[in-house]
Amino acid sequence: MRRTLIFLSIGLLVVGLMAAPGLAQPNFAKVKEYRIERSVPPEAQACIECHRETTPGIFADWAKSRHANANITCLDCHLIQPGDQDIAQGHEKYYGRSDMPWGEAKYKMPIASIVTPKDCSRCHPDEATQYSKSKHANTIEIIWKLDPWLNKGMNSDNERKVGCLNCHGTEVKIDENGKIDPNTWPNAGVGRLNLDGSKGSCTSCHTRHRFSVGEARKPEACDQCHLGPDHPQIEIYEESKHGTIYHAYQDEYNFDAAGGTWTAGVDYRAPTCAACHMSGSGKEPTSHDVTQRLSWETQAPLTVRPQDFKPFPSGSDWKAERQKMKNICSSCHGDSWINDFYDGFDKAVTEYNEVYFKPAKAKLDELYEKGLLDKTKFFDERLEVEYYELWHHEGRRARMGAMMMAPDYAWWHGFYECKLRFANYMEEANHLIETGQKAYIAKDFPNATGDTTRPEKIFGKTQ
Amino acid sequence: MKKWMIAAVLVGVGIVIAFPLFSMSYYTMVRTSTPEFCASCHEIKPAVVAWRSSTHTNNAAGVVVDCMDCHLPAPQDTFAFFFAKSYHGLKDVAVHFFVGEYDQEKAREAAYAAFDNDQCQKCHRNLLHMPNQRGAMLAHRSVVYARPGYEKKCVDCHYDLVHSERGLVMFRQTRQIPYQAKGLKQL
Repeated sequence: MRRTLIFLSIGLLVVGLMAAPGLAQPNFAKVKEYRIERSVPPEAQACIECHRETTPGIFADWAKSRHANANITCLDCHLIQPGDQDIAQGHEKYYGRSDMPWGEAKYKMPIASIVTPKDCSRCHPDEATQYSKSKHANTIEIIWKLDPWLNKGMNSDNERKVGCLNCHGTEVKIDENGKIDPNTWPNAGVGRLNLDGSKGSCTSCHTRHRFSVGEARKPEACDQCHLGPDHPQIEIYEESKHGTIYHAYQDEYNFDAAGGTWTAGVDYRAPTCAACHMSGSGKEPTSHDVTQRLSWETQAPLTVRPQDFKPFPSGSDWKAERQKMKNICSSCHGDSWINDFYDGFDKAVTEYNEVYFKPAKAKLDELYEKGLLDKTKFFDERLEVEYYELWHHEGRRARMGAMMMAPDYAWWHGFYECKLRFANYMEEANHLIETGQKAYIAKDFPNATGDTTRPEKIFGKTQ
Repeated sequence: MKKWMIAAVLVGVGIVIAFPLFSMSYYTMVRTSTPEFCASCHEIKPAVVAWRSSTHTNNAAGVVVDCMDCHLPAPQDTFAFFFAKSYHGLKDVAVHFFVGEYDQEKAREAAYAAFDNDQCQKCHRNLLHMPNQRGAMLAHRSVVYARPGYEKKCVDCHYDLVHSERGLVMFRQTRQIPYQAKGLKQL
C-alpha cells in the first residue's frame, strides 16, 4: 500500500513537472511585435494596432515588407478623401465602439479597400505610367475587341468572374447599397477597371501586403495566369533551359537586389520571365510595360507585328523592340546564338500563319459565305470550336514554344496538334462544302447567358 | 545758353514727365495684381472665393499665396512678368466683351498646361527630405531628377488643390485627414 502511494505520488510529480511549462506558456502563436519607434500619425498607429489583432496575417505580411521598412503604413495607400465613392462603409461603423481601444472617433479616417495603380503612382509615378501603357493594363479592351465568349455571350457572368476576369480584371462597380458589387470583387486582375479611372492592379504581381520586388522577379509571380492549354508560358519556361537552370539553381539567386542592380550572371544564372520581359539588363532599362521587347503578337489569331495588332497597337517599331530584346539576350549569349534563334522563331511564325492559320480562316469564311455555318453565335458549331482551338490553343503553344525554346511545346503540344486539328477541320469543312449540308447547331449550348455590353469606361455608352 | 545746360534741362523735363509715368504704371501693376482685383471679373470670382477657403491662404505659417504667385512668372523676371500680365489682362477683357462664354473646366485645364514646375518651386523648394513622408520623397525624386521621357509636372499629382468647392474654410493646421497627392491625373 505504501509502495503504491509512493509510486503514485512520484508519478503525479513527474506528470506535474512535465505539464508545468505548458501551463506557464500557453500554446499561443507569437504575435509579431510592432513598436512605434518612428514618426507615424496616430491614425495610422490605430490601423496597425487594431489590424494586428483582427487581421494578423495582413499585418505580419506588411511588417516584413519594404513598405514597413520605409515607414509607409496602411494609411498611405488606403486613405481616401471624404466624398469618394469607394469609401468602405462597413469600416466606418467600427469607430465609436467602446469595446475597441483603437475604435475612438478621433482616429476615424475614410478608407477604401481597393488600392489602385493611381494610388501607387503617388509614390511610384514612372512605374505606374509604364504599366498603364502595357497590354497588361489594357487587357480588358483587348479581349472585348477579340473574344467571342464575351461578344457573343457564350459563357455566364459568374464563369467570367471566377475564370476569365480573375486574371484579366473585372470592372469594379458600387452597388445600390454603396458597397463594392460582389459580382466585381474580390479581384486583382492585371487589367481591372477601377473606380478612379485607372486600369489594372499592381498587386497582381507584387502581392498584398508584401509588395515585394523579388516576388515579381520570380516565374511564380506570372504562373497564376500564364499557364494552361491556351497560353502555357510557365510550362514552356519550365521546359526551356532557362527554366531548368532556374529550378536547379534558384537557391543561389539573389531576388532582392535593389531596383536597377539585378544583374544577369551575378544575381541570377538563367533569366526568369521578368528578367527578359521587364527587368533592366546591360543597356536596357527596366520597364513595367510588358508590351515592349516583343516583335510578334504570338497570342493573336494571325501573328502580326505589335504595331499592327488592331485591338491595341503598340505604337512602337517592332525592329526597335526586337533590338531591345536582343540586347537583353546578349547579357549571356553571342550574336550568332541570338540571330539563329530568332531565325527559327520567325520561320515558326511564318509557317503557322501561311500553312495553318490563313487556309483555316479562308475555309471558315467560305463556310459562312455559303451559309453552311451560322454566324449568329460562335462555339455552337463544331467547326467553330476547331477553328478557335487551332489558333487559341495549339497554334499559340506552337508559336510560344518556338519563341521560348521549349521543344515539346513547339512540336508535340504545338505543331503536331495543329496538323491533326487542321486535317480533321479541313476534312469536315470540305465534306460540308461538297454535300452542301449545313453544320449541326448545338441548340442546347449551355449557360450562354453572359452580358454582351462592352464596358462603358473603355468603349463609351452603347445603345 | 550753353549746350550742357540744354541737355540738363531736357533731362530734367524728361524726369518730370517720366517719373509720374513710371510711378503710375508701377502703381497700376501693384493695384491690378491683388486677388481682389482678379475677383472684380465675375468669371474669376468663384476661383478667388475657393482660393480664400483653401490651405494656400489658411495655414499656421500665415503664408498667403496670391493669384499671381502661381499664375504669373515671378515679378523679378520683369519682362516675362509684364508681358504675361499684359497679355492675359488684354485677352481676358477681349474675351469678356466679344466671346462671353467662360468655361471654367477648360480654363482649369489650360492653367494646368501652362504651369511650370519652377512656378511651384518658387516656394516649395525643399522637396527631397521629408523623413515622415517617405513616399513623397520617392515621388519627388522622380520629378526633380526626372529621367528622359519621364518628365512630370507638380500639378500632375497635386491638382484640385486650391480652386475646388468646399463647404468650409480649410485650415492646414487643423486638417482632419492628412494631405495626400492624388496620384497621376492621366492614369
